[in-house]
Amino acid sequence: MITFFIALPLLVVLILNLLPRKQADALSFWCGMALTVVSGIYVLMAPRPMTSDFDPVNLVLNWKIVTSDLTAVMLISIALVVFSAFWVGRYLLEDENRQFIFNNLLLLCMVGMNGVVFSQDLFTLYVFLEIVGASSFILIALERTKAGLEGAFKYILLSFVATVLILSSVAMLFMVCGSLDYEAVRICLTSGTLDENTSRFVLFAVGLFAAGLLIKGGMVPFHGWLPDAYSSAPTPVSVLLGGIVTKAAGIFTLIQLVRNVFVFEGVSPVLLVIGTVSIAVGAFAAMGQSNFKRLLAYSSISQIGYIIVGLGSGHIIGIVGAILHLFNHSVFKTLLFVNAAAVEKQSGTVEMDKLGGLSNKMPVTGFASVLGFLSAAGIPPLSGFWSKVLIVVGLWKAGAPMAAIIAILLSLITLAYFLSVQRKVFFGKLASGLEGVKEADFRVLVPTILLVLITLVIGLTFPWLFDTFLVPLESFL
Amino acid sequence: MESTSIFWFVASFAILLFVTGIYSLLVTRNLLRILIGVEILAKGVTLLLVSAGYLTGRVNAIQPVIITMIVVEAVIIAVAAGIVIAAYRQNGTVNTNEMCNLKG
Repeated sequence: MITFFIALPLLVVLILNLLPRKQADALSFWCGMALTVVSGIYVLMAPRPMTSDFDPVNLVLNWKIVTSDLTAVMLISIALVVFSAFWVGRYLLEDENRQFIFNNLLLLCMVGMNGVVFSQDLFTLYVFLEIVGASSFILIALERTKAGLEGAFKYILLSFVATVLILSSVAMLFMVCGSLDYEAVRICLTSGTLDENTSRFVLFAVGLFAAGLLIKGGMVPFHGWLPDAYSSAPTPVSVLLGGIVTKAAGIFTLIQLVRNVFVFEGVSPVLLVIGTVSIAVGAFAAMGQSNFKRLLAYSSISQIGYIIVGLGSGHIIGIVGAILHLFNHSVFKTLLFVNAAAVEKQSGTVEMDKLGGLSNKMPVTGFASVLGFLSAAGIPPLSGFWSKVLIVVGLWKAGAPMAAIIAILLSLITLAYFLSVQRKVFFGKLASGLEGVKEADFRVLVPTILLVLITLVIGLTFPWLFDTFLVPLESFL
Repeated sequence: MESTSIFWFVASFAILLFVTGIYSLLVTRNLLRILIGVEILAKGVTLLLVSAGYLTGRVNAIQPVIITMIVVEAVIIAVAAGIVIAAYRQNGTVNTNEMCNLKG
């Protein structure tokens, strides 16, 4: 496991940079392809729970690994999004040198995210979070445009503040528990031996940690960096950031820590409030956008709000829904960013005022984006519908009917802004100057078709998935 | 001095560093000074980790943590400094006014 998901990509990056540049250019793309495809298939095929008993690197490192179906969901999402980002990068980045840098950093980012998923103590978590962070900073500023540099600097600044919060919290937890291992911290915090002052101190530490993770996940009120970073980054990087980075770095870690390490009942109401506010702010801000990518960024804030609300419900159905929505969101948001990449390349702009009527010229992209939007808005029978239903049912059962009602109503707003985008970009009269637009080539259609198929298949086979995959998920939480 | 008073001595210095860092982040309009501000914050965290190790008597457990943290932090600050240099070449200034054009 460690060998394959962390050590091998790292080795590949090293070797690629030692090779003569001419061969390495093409090789970097195919290496990335091979790694993502094989890791996706490996996770699907491996018997569960996955073990690391015969892992050569792990025999040396002796890294205790606890895998669950949640880990598997994350690993598949990471492989899927990185796969799409590789194709989009090959399609959109013309400069070969830049493409090589992009591929390398993408692999490093993948190493970081896999590490976040596998880490079993707070400090390892921090190191891998920083690997993800450092590679995304460089990726955002890849084109060295004015906007890109600004987005990257804002991200760095907030991410650094998040790091400071997380590490202060780590220091405080170390003062109380004397260890940073997830298991040891959990036992220390739940054993009930802490006196009143100490538990207040621990609560403060947990609050700092959660605030740091919410910054990394781009939730309201810490979302300032997210739209800037997403919209100023080159589109292949937006695919990566919007698809998985904030979820792996912020949300997955939050789920993991809240469920398995801190185990605080008091966290739930806070998460509910932050989640509903994020859904509302993201949805309303998205309605006023004129830039396609910026709109998708705000929609990300709103959709991740659903994940947080599901987690905050504390009910098992809500949490299962949150995890499914995490996967669904990485599928449909990647799909939408891939479509944005196709539109950007073929028509030369992502400003929605200048676009229109592209559906006739780009039938596959148009169809895929309708599907992505409908899935995001939660229209049956697409996959997004099922996860939202689970979240709402979980909220209702957990006794938070207000949050459930807000979640349903704001889902309508999601539909509203997505339909308005659809009308401006793909439907209606062809905008002037776009007569020569053609359908994008296979490099972007490969991820598009794959993601469309996943959205459809998960939506249609959901009852089967619920019994075989999601119900067992509870036992690991 | 006994051990808890040494701990408070170190921890209050850490808090002093936090305050200094936050203050410098709030008042400056210079990109490089912002980076120096966050470095001061990071030093405060380092000191807090040291004091945590001292308080629990597990210095050998916290030492590798601190050393790794310094390395990781240096990487991040190098990337950040690279972006500031690129921004300087682009804008001709290190003032933050040039870095707030993205809105909406």
